[in-house]
Amino acid sequence: MKNSVIWICLLMSTFLFAQEKFSVSGTVKDKKNGETLLGATVYLKGTTIGAVTNEYGFYSLTAPSGTYTLVISFLGYQDITKEITLTVDQTVNFEIEEASTSLETVVIEAEESERVSIRKPQMSVSKLNAETIKQMPVVLGEVDVIKSIQMLPGVTNSGEGSAGFNVRGGAADQNLVLLDEAIIYNTSHFFGFFSVFNADAIKDIKLYKGDIPAKFGGRISSVLDVRQKDGNSKNLEVNGGVGIISSRLAVEGPMFNKKGSFLVAGRTSYAHLFLPLIEELKDDKISFYDLNLKTNYEINENNRIYLSGYFGRDIFDISQFVKNRYGNASANLRWNHVFNEKLFSNLSLIYSKYDYRLVLDFIQLDWVSDIKNFNLKYDLRYYANDKIKLDFGVSGITYDFNPGEVKPTDPSSPINFRKLDQKRAFEAAAYISAEHQLTDKLTAQYGLRFSTFSRLGGQELSDYANDQPVVYNEEIGIYEEGEEIGTTNYGKSESIKTFANVEPRLGLSYQLNDKSSVKASYTRSVQYVHLLSNTVSVTPLDVWAPSGRYIQPQKSNQYAVGYYRNFNDKKYSLEVETYYKNVDNRIDYIDGSDLIGTNNIETEILNGEARAYGLEILFRKNKGKLKGWLAYTLSKSEQRAPGGNAGGPGINRGNWYNTPFDRTHDISITGSYDFSEKWKFSANFAYQTGRPVTYPNGQYEYEGLSIASYDARNANRLPAYHRLDLSATYTPTKNKNRRWQGEWVFGLYNAYARRNAASISFTQDFDTGINEARRLSVFGSVIPSITYNFKF
Amino acid sequence: MTKNIKFTVFLALIITFISCDDKIDVDVPEAPPRLVIEASLDWKKGTAGNNQTIKLSTSTPFFDTTTNTSVIGASVRVTNNNSNAVYNFVDQNDGNYTITNFVPVLNDSYTLEVIYNGETYTATENLIPVTPIMNPTQSLEGGFDDEVLDVTIFFDDPADEENFYMVRIKEDTDLFAELETQSDEFTNGNVQEEFFEKERDDEDPEAEYNPGDTVNIRLFGISERYYNFISLLIEQYDSGGDPFSVTPAEIRGNCVNQTNEANYAFGYFRVTEFDEIDFTFQ
Repeated sequence: MKNSVIWICLLMSTFLFAQEKFSVSGTVKDKKNGETLLGATVYLKGTTIGAVTNEYGFYSLTAPSGTYTLVISFLGYQDITKEITLTVDQTVNFEIEEASTSLETVVIEAEESERVSIRKPQMSVSKLNAETIKQMPVVLGEVDVIKSIQMLPGVTNSGEGSAGFNVRGGAADQNLVLLDEAIIYNTSHFFGFFSVFNADAIKDIKLYKGDIPAKFGGRISSVLDVRQKDGNSKNLEVNGGVGIISSRLAVEGPMFNKKGSFLVAGRTSYAHLFLPLIEELKDDKISFYDLNLKTNYEINENNRIYLSGYFGRDIFDISQFVKNRYGNASANLRWNHVFNEKLFSNLSLIYSKYDYRLVLDFIQLDWVSDIKNFNLKYDLRYYANDKIKLDFGVSGITYDFNPGEVKPTDPSSPINFRKLDQKRAFEAAAYISAEHQLTDKLTAQYGLRFSTFSRLGGQELSDYANDQPVVYNEEIGIYEEGEEIGTTNYGKSESIKTFANVEPRLGLSYQLNDKSSVKASYTRSVQYVHLLSNTVSVTPLDVWAPSGRYIQPQKSNQYAVGYYRNFNDKKYSLEVETYYKNVDNRIDYIDGSDLIGTNNIETEILNGEARAYGLEILFRKNKGKLKGWLAYTLSKSEQRAPGGNAGGPGINRGNWYNTPFDRTHDISITGSYDFSEKWKFSANFAYQTGRPVTYPNGQYEYEGLSIASYDARNANRLPAYHRLDLSATYTPTKNKNRRWQGEWVFGLYNAYARRNAASISFTQDFDTGINEARRLSVFGSVIPSITYNFKF
Repeated sequence: MTKNIKFTVFLALIITFISCDDKIDVDVPEAPPRLVIEASLDWKKGTAGNNQTIKLSTSTPFFDTTTNTSVIGASVRVTNNNSNAVYNFVDQNDGNYTITNFVPVLNDSYTLEVIYNGETYTATENLIPVTPIMNPTQSLEGGFDDEVLDVTIFFDDPADEENFYMVRIKEDTDLFAELETQSDEFTNGNVQEEFFEKERDDEDPEAEYNPGDTVNIRLFGISERYYNFISLLIEQYDSGGDPFSVTPAEIRGNCVNQTNEANYAFGYFRVTEFDEIDFTFQ
């Protein structure tokens, strides 16, 4: 609280010293297609006064009265300048044009103009635009947002065929993944082979690995903010592609007399069309699809509404005995309102849902689970003066958890109908945050987020002896379910448990000179919902659970410092960051825990903690024919769960152990080379320390089987993971002026056919009875691909 | 939900479409040997159940194939806690300890005592009754693969109690048996079923069940604690660390070392009733 008093004083002081000043505001758009541009820099030449456009392309800046040259710059676009005379507040909108030759296109932007990025206090953030993502070589030619961010320092996952991603040693459920502000619960198709984001529908993505702005909350590791394109407001445009796995088509164009635009993008796999040709797979159906929609309408200069939606599905039917359907659905209705030159607002009503269905015909079982939420939020940005910008807002999220419903598929089924307890919760938050230029060299970003979470009633909950859902069996040294002594019934209007937390966020930037700066940040964040998963890889079957009587909210503190520098007229840049974070209340699963179909999850878990620290280096070449970056991460990620009130030493004897996301070394290199107008080449190389696993330390005979014995969790490691991917893009140039533009992309994934171990399993040979270790490699060979992309 | 565990196998199967699997050499840690108590007093329905065997052995390094693991010279005794009858098992000097006058009584509580190397291990269990196996049937359609034979057994679950089952199936030519567990959590009071099918191997037509093959099927009534123990053991045995498996852990049975707690034994002391059939595919 004391801190907030100081901040208010800081704010007040600047207000008091304000002189006669005027504001200029407006939007910055792409001249070609009318897309609003996020991150374009608008500044007054010869001053340090500048602003960066927000998610809706809006900027506002304030300066003492006078005549200035306003400069708008955005990497990959031509700078434009405009003389303005500031004697009144005014609105100036800009449309900027892409730099004339595509060879000049810059493939990565951290923060747009280095002039600002060096100074801006925001750190631990990476921005990639759709172009960059599309240029990376990918598996089977499927452009993949989630795979592309894994080339950044501090981001990993458990290898091919594992869903989600891990940021700075955190779990996959600790990432807040937003698609046009809607929460996406499952980021993968096909168990992690492909991501759910169709690159044709995406404008850009921003990944916050730390220093998370106060407007975001609810997850403790990272925020992946994915924004869909608004749609071309000038001309009708069609983009598409035909690949080995899927085909894509995106149509966009102006609407409502050019007062708005639309985008419809679809992607579908078509492997299932060929499965019938293979005798063994003729009964199988394996496919996925995505549908992205967006439309917007400009009511007038100060009001604009947006509607966006996403629907995706995975379908797996394996020879009639397993039917599996799952996917996300989301919708978002937004209203942008500009109150005046200094105050911008956005109101959003968002719905998202993830559902999962499994039908197992051979036991006549039909399993359904889902999570739904509605989110209403109001965000405002106040451009107070040339030194201070304020962000503030409120949000409320209602959650509906359906952890599972079992139905018999026909009357002869041995399965009884059963529904696990439906759970409801409400999460509310309010925040205020300021970006404050304290001196010429020192800039701060400080904010507070206040969040509350209520687990709502309307159900019975089990009570346990001594309030212990898990107890330690001293005699045989294992954790067991506590003794249920009754139930408490909570009415619909009652709250089972309410939490409230204050989450301070602070970032500082000190500019050493015009080329380099140092930054520091502190982020406290709280996570109220948890994905229950005790397997190495997150699976689509895993269910979410709210905090409540027995599950505490996860709380994390992250401290980071960094050094940033541009070289050679911004041709090269270097970012070095180091971080430490600790997480309280990270739930851990007792040995032998069974989560699926378990109503009382509290009987399977202990309350633990986690910590992670590391050093990240990112060296980029931003210009020229050869572009790309080298990322290196040295890190550690551990967790432990002492017995606490349940008694006993805890999981893994209460000792710290490696999380499955611990990677000591992680090297990623990605580059693209513009060979000629026709040919462009790209390559990725990734090297990672092997994933922590638990190997057997002995065997014994029981029931005639050789049983492996195990000791400490995750004390061993798989062999190191490394891989090289190559791709070449051929753009025919003979019909340069034709409307139809096409390109061929040839790819080689895993170019030197490394057999990376997805897992090593220890089994007994069925014929000889001898124990052996078997390596499962998801891709045991080179995976070639060819894709044709077109545009007209 | 035992079949849910199987679901993870399906996931692995899907991955198998494009993946490859090979045998490799791995260095694994080596723990010092530990006593293994396989004390399974299983009473076949309709028999006297007087003959029982308890096996004692030691654990070895994971890839070891040479060590003789039989434990000789231990003292093995079982007490019926309801009648106080004491049964002393005789050392056969090959790791087996046998008795010919054991008297099983349904639902009675029994305590095992093993004294080995001056340390005393004890465990207590109840003799759990079981419902009989009804009409086993064979079909092509029942299992995962519609082109190979499968066999399904049925048994009637009592509605008024929580029940736990273990099914063991072994073809006469198999090196080892296959184990499955079931609880009536989702199926209480219904006719339970459990099917078995062997995976097809295009190079070996004998791999799957064929007409004329005989399988031995046993259905055990087990305690909830044994259910937890053996389910975890089976799961870890089957998955052995695949990507969708739970992190493997030490599996603790019910045999407690009273002398030195840290030196506990592997294995379990179970007392069960079982029903058995031999089924020949037509």
